[in-house]
Amino acid sequence: MAPQSFTNRLAMIKSPSVPNFAGSDPRSKKVECDHISDPRLLSALTLELSDARNSAVLSNLQIGKDHLESRDNSSSNLSVLDLYNDNIDDDDVNLPGGKEGSSGSIGSEINLLGHELNLLSTTPEVDPDDADSDNHRDDEDDDGDDNSIDQNRPKETPHVNESSKVSGSREISLEDQYDEYGFKKQSNYADTEVYNRWSQEYSECCSRRRFKWRQLMQKHRISTDGSSVPLVFPPKNEKLKRYVRKGIPAEWRGTAWWYFAGGQETLDANIGVYDKLVKKVEKIQRGHKAEKYSKVLSDMEIIERDLNRTFPDNVHFQKNDTSSGEEPEMITSLRRILVGFSIYNPKIGYCQSMNFLAGLLLLFLREEKVFWMLVIITSRYLPGVHNVNLEGVNVDQGVLLLCVKEYIPELWAQIKPTCEQTVLSTRGKRPVKNEFLYRLPPITLCTASWFMSCFIGVVPIETTLRIWDCMFYEGSHFLFKISLGILKLSEHKLNMNKHRGRGSPLNKFYQHGDSSSGERVDRLYGEDESDIEMFQVIQSFPKSFIDVNDLFDRTIFKKRASFNNLDQEEIDRCRKYVQTQRNKYKEFVEHKDVRGGDSRQIGEQTRATSVSNAPKSKGVVPSTAPSSPSLRKQHGKSGTLRDDTDLRTVLGREDYGFKRSLTNGNWNNGLKQKMRQMRKKRDK
Amino acid sequence: MLQFKLVLLGDSSVGKSSIVHRFVKDTFDELRESTIGAAFLSQTIKVESEDQQEVVIKFEIWDTAGQERYKSLAPMYYRNANAALVVYDVTQEDSLNKAKAWVEELKNKVGDEDLVIFLVGNKVDLCEGSDNEDKRAVAATLAKQYAEDQGLMFDEVSAKTGHGVKEVFQAIGQRLYDTKKEELATRQRGNGNDGQVDINVPRPSTNDTTGCCS
Repeated sequence: MAPQSFTNRLAMIKSPSVPNFAGSDPRSKKVECDHISDPRLLSALTLELSDARNSAVLSNLQIGKDHLESRDNSSSNLSVLDLYNDNIDDDDVNLPGGKEGSSGSIGSEINLLGHELNLLSTTPEVDPDDADSDNHRDDEDDDGDDNSIDQNRPKETPHVNESSKVSGSREISLEDQYDEYGFKKQSNYADTEVYNRWSQEYSECCSRRRFKWRQLMQKHRISTDGSSVPLVFPPKNEKLKRYVRKGIPAEWRGTAWWYFAGGQETLDANIGVYDKLVKKVEKIQRGHKAEKYSKVLSDMEIIERDLNRTFPDNVHFQKNDTSSGEEPEMITSLRRILVGFSIYNPKIGYCQSMNFLAGLLLLFLREEKVFWMLVIITSRYLPGVHNVNLEGVNVDQGVLLLCVKEYIPELWAQIKPTCEQTVLSTRGKRPVKNEFLYRLPPITLCTASWFMSCFIGVVPIETTLRIWDCMFYEGSHFLFKISLGILKLSEHKLNMNKHRGRGSPLNKFYQHGDSSSGERVDRLYGEDESDIEMFQVIQSFPKSFIDVNDLFDRTIFKKRASFNNLDQEEIDRCRKYVQTQRNKYKEFVEHKDVRGGDSRQIGEQTRATSVSNAPKSKGVVPSTAPSSPSLRKQHGKSGTLRDDTDLRTVLGREDYGFKRSLTNGNWNNGLKQKMRQMRKKRDK
Repeated sequence: MLQFKLVLLGDSSVGKSSIVHRFVKDTFDELRESTIGAAFLSQTIKVESEDQQEVVIKFEIWDTAGQERYKSLAPMYYRNANAALVVYDVTQEDSLNKAKAWVEELKNKVGDEDLVIFLVGNKVDLCEGSDNEDKRAVAATLAKQYAEDQGLMFDEVSAKTGHGVKEVFQAIGQRLYDTKKEELATRQRGNGNDGQVDINVPRPSTNDTTGCCS
């Protein structure tokens, strides 16, 4: 953590960023008054405590601070804290059991399931790269001398608690329907039994990891005594990176993410800003200056519709049956954060998927911190991704495609035809270099959500959290790495499906799954059956990655997986390249429009796009090329040719060049392949 | 078996995903997570041919995110679509306007005369019974008139109770079968080799020059 002045830190404690404890904060006083006048004093107090959150993290952090700051203003806090700590020991958690029904996200019926879990654990890899996979099983690494497991240490589970009850730490029993974060265990892809089987093994692994983490922290003289949560972490190095990749202890996650993402620096530079935003939100909600905030108001409408559709399966986001329709505290916080953000950053406003980002953060961090984390994610980790025109998504999808082309050529071979087809069916011309960057293939409809929601809902929750650990530690390039890893596994899966009797081109028209029935499928549109299958696999397969260790062993910890050479610099460079190319393309279209009268209206569209803050303008199709129609216009033949040539000149011939390392053995796949072929020939 | 691509379009939280889930899984959740990006599902139905034979139709369903800004991705969704379900919420007046905008966009951008567009008013369960009549914000007659003017199919449904949902897909399937069967027959004859037809006949492109967006 960056060194901060004493006053700064004090200010932080005093600031409403710590509303539940800072006696000096007017809002918090009000809350306390409410409590006193409230007949249900106790329940209200516990409610506040649970808000204190969501986390023991906070209270511990607070305790830590109070220690550090030498009890300046904490006497009033302590009483609350004491109570809280008392409560932590009470393990009287009653989860609303017996709730059956929907499970999770909009899965897909897809008949491929069932096999997938098995596949994950049993499929022998076919990739030659895998022979030397570098599987880091939990204990093998590190110093080797610390394998003893501290059995006596009380097992800590995250602080997350049932919405109106303080539960500090609690054990999740096998009977529980919900996991330690409040998510439903059972899903379309794993029932409670499968979940429990995995989770038993996994929780042992977690306590081993936790022990190792404590040792590491001790070496760096960072206190982790008792249940206190570290405020700082050791300096970044390979070892710490490996530790993070194996998972940050759940109860440390909040502070660790905050620390690695540089949350404190952002907050310090913006003291009081969130508080002002919250006040503004309240004003706007009361109808203040409605004209001035019309955009915020329209965002508010969408936010309102999404609030109750954010983790409806999570107990913390559900209405408590007993409290007669009272809104869960989480939802109230979520509303303030999202509306506040819409005011704070009008370029983004509110974009669906941010509700999930903020919602997940709320399980680990306090409201104000969640807000700043959201600011950090949307600006630093995923720049432009949530903007009104979603250009950042398109750029990142372009980057991902370039990476797939480079690192998973076997999958690229399957995606490529869909790109070309997009072009052919819409243009009927020879594609320009890397045309897929401008006319993203439909597969990116699937992968776009991976980035927008940082894998929430894409993979099971524990896997999501691990990805977040690494993303905050390593940077946004990790999202590309794990995406490539998942795509690579999906490609295996696709291949396996093919080998199950639909490899021959004759089978092209048979529906997957019942090829045996011999029924013919007539498709009345151009997409190949395999495209749809690819979509379905890529959409549903990741949801089966419940065993996060296994997933990481097969992807991230695989030294020979070439995509693991990707680093932040490469991704940043690649993002820049794609962005520039897409801008050139867009400019060309606009420019051409100025020259040629007949494509005037197209220019209008494109311009409207670049203005981009035009939610009302219908038919506006930004950057995504498939719709940018001018290039599709059927000009005279010569005109078409000239335009094509011009476009080629504008875009340049240069392909994006990934940097290659001579040491990693993958520096020239082409050459490697040639050698292989030569050897084969010789052997024959 | 015939396979068709169907897309769902409409404002956010009008119930697109709920309609799909009712149709595909016959389930309903009061609160369903907002769809980010797109989701693919599929379901088969049976329709009847002229000679009273059953024909299996498989729908590839592309469920989409409803928020306005996702519109930029829309062309990817509806490219090569055979049918579009444009959904609005009968209790939200503005959602019909959004639906109309989608219809416009489809008509302008998809150069396929055969594209079946079905306008669906969802959540009729909310305004059932005399107590709840005032919850209705869009009169059925109004939407129906619009649909007729535009040459769309139309119905009101409830994903919650299941009322009318299957019928919508059934009607689309039947319509698609009726319009495509001749095309199919011609192609099969023309192809000569029994069974293996070349189905990759290019269809009218999306967003061609006839498209006009004023």
